[in-house]
Order: sequence, then C-alpha cells, then structure tokens
Amino acid sequence: MVQAEMVEATEFQELSNKYNVSGVPQTTINDGAANITGAVPENNMLEEIKRITGK
Amino acid sequence: MAKLLTEDVVKQIEEAFAPMKEAVHIMFFGQKEGCDHCADTQRLLEEVVAISDKLSIEIYDLDDDADLAEKFNVDKAPGTVIAGKDGETVSDYGIRYAGIPSGHEFTSLIQDILLVAGRDSGLAQETRDFLKELTEPVLLQVFVTPT
Repeated sequence: MVQAEMVEATEFQELSNKYNVSGVPQTTINDGAANITGAVPENNMLEEIKRITGK
Repeated sequence: MAKLLTEDVVKQIEEAFAPMKEAVHIMFFGQKEGCDHCADTQRLLEEVVAISDKLSIEIYDLDDDADLAEKFNVDKAPGTVIAGKDGETVSDYGIRYAGIPSGHEFTSLIQDILLVAGRDSGLAQETRDFLKELTEPVLLQVFVTPT
C-alpha cells in the first residue's frame, strides 16, 4: 500500500513546481496532501500518514 | 567506454555488499526520446549490479513496456524499481527512483539495495502495525537534488 519515490527535483521541474519545492529534501504525500521540508522522523511520518488517511 | 564508478568506489561498494543476505532485483525503465539521463542511469545501475552476484537487473522501456510500467506504478524515465527476488518471484517493496541516483542519492541507492537485501525495513513495531492496516494507497515522494 505504501510506495516511496525518490524524485530528482531538477530533472522533474514540473513536478517540483507543482508541489512548490523550495528546499530539499521535501516529502510530498498523496499528491500534496502534505508537504514537509527537511528530514522527517519516523514518528512524524506516521502521524502525517494517520492524519491523511483519517485513521 | 570509461566506467562511471572508479575502482575505489567499486571496492567500497563491494565491502558494503559483502553481508547481503537475499537477492535484489532492479527494474530500470528508460525512454527513447527526451530522456537526458536515461543512458547514464542505465550504465550506473549496470555497473552497480555487476559488483554482486546477489544483484540482477532488467532493462525496460516506459513506452514499449507500458503494461509493466503501469503494474509497477512507474511513470517517469529514468525510473528504477528496487525489488527483491525470491526464486523467480519479484517482490515489490514499493521503492522507486525517478531520475538519476547520483551524488548523495547514490548513497541512498546503495542503502536501499542493502535494506531490500536484508528484507527488513527497520521500522518500529507500532509503525508496521499501522501500515499493515492501511486500506488506501499512500504515495511518498521525496524531492531531492544530487548535491
């Protein structure tokens, strides 16, 4: 159910613009449901996924 | 043609790969036109795969192999799937690279290969329990730059 994609931001400019990537790393979850700049500790990632999936 | 990886780097990767437990299978999706980094990415992956007999690679084309690309959710070229291989079965762990894994991302690539080889995400039990119950797909896209 979970897919993680490393996106090279300069190579895929359109996508970077779509999600307003201004600093890296940026983690974008489910088409912009969350955009987090910087490292994301496991716990925070879990909380974000919980919030997004409403679980 | 000169190698992308220097002898020193190959030696370092060899050491990192030494404890690899299970087989890792890389699926590479290129594209014939408009893909600036496809050729380099393919070469880089082929050089990495040559370092360990626990590694295998298949080369595909995003257009010619559209069904397979869709099955594995690959929609960008160069697109790379880091999967496991158990016998003839490819085990998908949801790990993808869009773009060339160079610079810092090369380290991530090597670490992802080792992660899949160990068949262990390293996540906490609480996280695993939650993820197991997910009923809708979650896509994490991590935007990075090579430097």
